[in-house]
Amino acid sequence: MSDRRLGTEVPGAEAPGSNGATPPEERGDFIGLFPEPVLGPFRRSWAWFDDRTGISGLLYKGLYEAVPRQGGWAYTLGSATLVVIIVQFFTGIFLLLDYVPSVTQAYSSLLYLRTNDLFGDWMRGIHLWGAYILMLLIGAHALRTFISASYKKPRELNWISGVMLFFLVLAMAITGAMLPWDQASYWTAVVVTNIPHYLPVIGNGLRTLWRGGDFVGPVTLTRTFALHIWVLPALLLGLIGGHLYLLRRHGEFGSWVNYRTTTADPGREVAERVRHAEPPYPTRGADPQYSAPSQTVDFFPDQLFKDTLVSLVLVVFIFVMGLISGAPLDGPANAATLTYVPTPEWFYLPLDQLLVFFPTALVGFGVFVVVGIGATLMLALPFIDRNPERHPIRRPDVLIPAFFLIGTVIYLAMLGVNRLYNL
Amino acid sequence: MQHLILTLSPTSVPGTVLTNTVMVGCVALLHVLFATFLIGSCTLVALSEGISMVTHDERHERLARSLVHAWGYIFSTGAAIAIFFVIFVLVGVWGRFFVTFQQFTFWVWFFEALTFVGEIALLYTLYANWERMRAYRLARLGMVLLLNIDQWFQMFFIDVIASQMLSPTVQGATDNTSYLLQFLNPTNLPLTVHRTIGNIAWAGAIVTAVAAYQYLRVTRRQEATALVPGRRAPVRALGAMPEGELVRERNREAAYWDWAGQWGMLFAFGFTIVQIWVGYSYAKEIQLHSLDSWYQMMYGWISNIFLAQFAGVGLIFIFGVAYFWRRLKAAGQRLAARRQQIALVLLILLWLFGIQPAWLAGSYPDIVAAHLAKPFWDGGLEDPLGFFFPWKVMVLIADMLIALYAITSFVRARVRTPMTMGQASRGSQRLLIGMAVVVGLMMLIMGIIRESSRSPYLVNQNITISHQVILQQPAPNIPLSQRPIGP
Repeated sequence: MSDRRLGTEVPGAEAPGSNGATPPEERGDFIGLFPEPVLGPFRRSWAWFDDRTGISGLLYKGLYEAVPRQGGWAYTLGSATLVVIIVQFFTGIFLLLDYVPSVTQAYSSLLYLRTNDLFGDWMRGIHLWGAYILMLLIGAHALRTFISASYKKPRELNWISGVMLFFLVLAMAITGAMLPWDQASYWTAVVVTNIPHYLPVIGNGLRTLWRGGDFVGPVTLTRTFALHIWVLPALLLGLIGGHLYLLRRHGEFGSWVNYRTTTADPGREVAERVRHAEPPYPTRGADPQYSAPSQTVDFFPDQLFKDTLVSLVLVVFIFVMGLISGAPLDGPANAATLTYVPTPEWFYLPLDQLLVFFPTALVGFGVFVVVGIGATLMLALPFIDRNPERHPIRRPDVLIPAFFLIGTVIYLAMLGVNRLYNL
Repeated sequence: MQHLILTLSPTSVPGTVLTNTVMVGCVALLHVLFATFLIGSCTLVALSEGISMVTHDERHERLARSLVHAWGYIFSTGAAIAIFFVIFVLVGVWGRFFVTFQQFTFWVWFFEALTFVGEIALLYTLYANWERMRAYRLARLGMVLLLNIDQWFQMFFIDVIASQMLSPTVQGATDNTSYLLQFLNPTNLPLTVHRTIGNIAWAGAIVTAVAAYQYLRVTRRQEATALVPGRRAPVRALGAMPEGELVRERNREAAYWDWAGQWGMLFAFGFTIVQIWVGYSYAKEIQLHSLDSWYQMMYGWISNIFLAQFAGVGLIFIFGVAYFWRRLKAAGQRLAARRQQIALVLLILLWLFGIQPAWLAGSYPDIVAAHLAKPFWDGGLEDPLGFFFPWKVMVLIADMLIALYAITSFVRARVRTPMTMGQASRGSQRLLIGMAVVVGLMMLIMGIIRESSRSPYLVNQNITISHQVILQQPAPNIPLSQRPIGP
């Protein structure tokens, strides 16, 4: 058995049942990691608690799980996304302590939070910057998953739940942007709640349902608030749970570099690898070549260290930006103004710019058909890309169109920024 | 308008407005062909050098070396044209304009000139020491990347000038001194992206044309050798090389040029797909920020050149997909070749539909003036199926999707079944040359369209071509129907 930190080359591994992860006899219980002076007074309490809950077994199972050895830094994006979502939940709870979801008091409650609450403004800044970073993280995570082809059999549902999480986060962002009830959020509400009416037949009804009438008003804010803090988070939590369950069920795929064969007899090498795989590998339903990585390490401490470090850096960045830059607050909402030009958040700039290119009569086509096709393609990707290959070079049929689309989105965002500067 | 200009006591310029414009246009376009190739090929060199470092592919190493060696000549010629353009053409013919324009774009010109210093230092160092630096490939690659950045900024600065001339950010001469607004000019970003992509496509086209020509040359000799039965004596070229070795050498050469043609072609073809979308966004920004120029492009006499541009895009795709088809057929990949054949038929049909003009006259105002702005079946001169919206837009979208499918399909076929290089038919190489010629023409036509669309202004609404002075107040908009038609 080789050094557990370095992992083991599987072909010819000495000990069956190990694929480079920490051998069971070397794994202490989780509580044993703490030094005796710290742990001493609590040992009996821990034993009592563990006896009734079985938590150490759960921790053991959670922490000593095999993950692919190569490319570990790239796999930190998912856990960092989870950490930032948790930050959003906590800062959101803090904001709820002051915020009043009413058109007469929403703005003044945020003014109060800004001027009278010691950390209130900072908390708003963290919430805003958390949302920004979350968007980037989910995008990067999805891109990494796409390039490494981690969405392929049997991980199709991981991808679909991830894409749905992305859509939910976008919905969270847009509903959150309407809550301050300042000029920016009021006009955002006017524009966004108007979008459903482009749908044929049911569009007007949907708009009325969201707005609580023909125009944006008190009911609009209440309903958007309910969406932002109850409906969407509930869906989000459910999907996160499902996403994590699926991740644990199939194991982290990693990327193609973990599945390369090096011997003259690849078939035998893969068979050996599968035979010695550490749970959750070999992945059920996967092609044999991609069912077990050549080398694995334990999630704890190897991968967890990387995850923690990346998440920590991002959280610190969010906190610093929340303090330095904060969150803007325009003047109070004024439906009668004629001069205010609403501008979308940066992550909606591509969509906003796309609609600039459509004649007025075809805006609905742009919003629902073009964007709908894009969303459907994203969701259906695992079923569109049936090529068993995982190496990006050998998957030009999805990589070329995808980079074309990604380039388009980036270019649209740049045009959108340029347009805002020239308003 | 006329009386406003006359009160400014203009000084006459040498030559006529038409001859001066033609001279400026010709020299500028000539310069553009050299400069854009340099910028685009620098990206190709960085890519090839990077790939050869990772994969040890000798073909990429050779391609990078060849391009760097070509730089020395191309940069010298291009720079000589640029100097001639500035000193003799701009200063000599449009001196008042150039000096006046420099007064409020001074720092843009200054920084652009600075990038030339960087370009000269890096480019000639690489040119003279490429082989010597082989032991330090990472440093060599680093210098190529630096040169890329330098040249990109060079292009960016000249784009600031070009976009400032097309859509000045603030109307009126005195307000134009805001450099921030000049950099953020609404048409600058799409122009920069359009040119960045176009440069790479152009460089790819040159590579593919040279490779195709070389392939034709090499295989012609091969055929000649094969035509002489029982020939045993060493042939004329390559010194005392025995015949067998000579044939092998030619096969190696044919394989290399076949590969290089494909490599360059993928950039020329692939980046042109993106150009449709980027070009559309550029036209949209011109419509939003320089409506009269946009009107000239879409309805004025330039619309005819714009139609040629439209036809050119279609031809690039047709040549490209025809090449894919022929090449896959030569490689024995029948199914993949059949897919390309279907794509080719669709592209030709779309092209034939798309090139019909929207009106049978020099410009739209002409038929409006003649009260003939009605469909031809009603006795007018309009052809509704030739209108840009929605027909040509739909053709462009379809072109883009089919071309994307074709290139993806070709690359997929290449990846799944390795292709033996050197088997390309000679006809397929002629298609590559044809495509490269059209790409080059597109570069020229695009320049003519952009620079002519603001006629009769040099700086839109600020400086006229004939008088070259800044109007002391924002120029009144000339009604579109009264705009002069023609250069």
